[in-house]
Amino acid sequence: MFIILIVFSTISFGQKSFLNDTKAKDSVWYLPDYAKIQFAGNIGLLSVGVGYEIIHRAWYSEFLYGYVPESVSEAEKIHLITIKNTFPICTKEMGTNFTLSPIVGFTASLETGNNSFLKVPEKYPKGYYITNAIHFTLFTGVSIHKKFPNSKMIKGADFYFELGTVETYLWYAITSKEVKLNDIFSTAIGVNLYF
Amino acid sequence: MKYLRIILLIGIFSSCDTFFEFSVYEASVTKENRNTTFKNLELLNNIQVSSQDFKFAFITDTHYFYNNLKIIIDDINKKEDILFVLVGGDITEQGVLKEYQLFYDIIKNLEKPYLTVIGNHDYKSNGGVIYKRMFGDYNYSFKVNNNKFILFDNTVWESNKEPDFDWLSMELNNSKMFNQIFVVAHMPPSTEQFNDDMKETYKSLLYENNVSLSIHGHTHNYFYEKNTVDYLTVPTIKKSTYCIVNVQNESYTIEMIAL
Repeated sequence: MFIILIVFSTISFGQKSFLNDTKAKDSVWYLPDYAKIQFAGNIGLLSVGVGYEIIHRAWYSEFLYGYVPESVSEAEKIHLITIKNTFPICTKEMGTNFTLSPIVGFTASLETGNNSFLKVPEKYPKGYYITNAIHFTLFTGVSIHKKFPNSKMIKGADFYFELGTVETYLWYAITSKEVKLNDIFSTAIGVNLYF
Repeated sequence: MKYLRIILLIGIFSSCDTFFEFSVYEASVTKENRNTTFKNLELLNNIQVSSQDFKFAFITDTHYFYNNLKIIIDDINKKEDILFVLVGGDITEQGVLKEYQLFYDIIKNLEKPYLTVIGNHDYKSNGGVIYKRMFGDYNYSFKVNNNKFILFDNTVWESNKEPDFDWLSMELNNSKMFNQIFVVAHMPPSTEQFNDDMKETYKSLLYENNVSLSIHGHTHNYFYEKNTVDYLTVPTIKKSTYCIVNVQNESYTIEMIAL
């Protein structure tokens, strides 16, 4: 973790470029603004997908596929489809080509393997259970946006770190003094690449 | 200043109990949290019982009532004459690893051996896999002072299997050897998950083998019926209640505790 942070910091601080990034807006609305890869955060060991900047520097929405292999889940393979929303609280210019943003956000994930069900099976009486295939996470963290004005391939990248939890875990921590915040929060790291 | 913030962040990150989580459905139980049933049976075996009579506590349907779980554990710890604790299942709400870990971490405060039986909620998602790793077999038995305790998994719907009545029958085979037999199963035989055949099979097996008491949870309510075989259902700890069973030579008494 520390090494990754150092690497990220070095990239951010090490490169100096004086060209301003003019983010070319795609004329076709459905083309995504960036590609994303994330490690951990209850949406897969790795999750990959595409993202849209819905409101400039205020609302980023992403569509992700996450995967956990059997060797890690120690059960069946886990496939997750996730919609993730990230909201930068503010954006601070930290130099010519990078900005730092504290972020908050939430995800909604669907998973229907692993003995979970979207529609409650018929064997259960009405009202016995609700679905256990959908889970939400809440997170907060820091995102560093780095522009690459000289690169033809990548216009910029976000490197982010998050602390997050799952909706019911948070409920347990709020309602029970026996459940501490460090019982329920875990970390995630990821990169958004702007093309 | 920037670096200081980054170092602070690392500090926050590294204080998390589980550094990275990949999915709520994970079933990876840490090494030290495995084989809990076996470890507790070892603890129980190592206790020297000075008299024939002894007491055990029964708590059930702990779900996510973590405050009450801790309160009841503290109360049981104060009672020196309680030898061990039986947990009647539904130790989780959704059968997810996090809930198993929370239960495990809180019941670690108990200064006595505890033995669990799986409940229907504990089978949800990958709960069945997690239970097996964290605790052990779904069906097992042990002996205390020539009394036999049989812990029987009778979940039907969530486990996608029928209760193993053949195993129960085998366990009850040598019933005459024991002073008394106690059977613990999460659901009482009147459960909505049992068909008429299952109800009949369960009740007749216990009847034919002179079981003293059949102990359950699941309904969250109190029920006690004295007959040839007695049936007891203990309320959920949500109601801050649990039960103490005082086992004597050929009989027993129950005491309901409300905190």
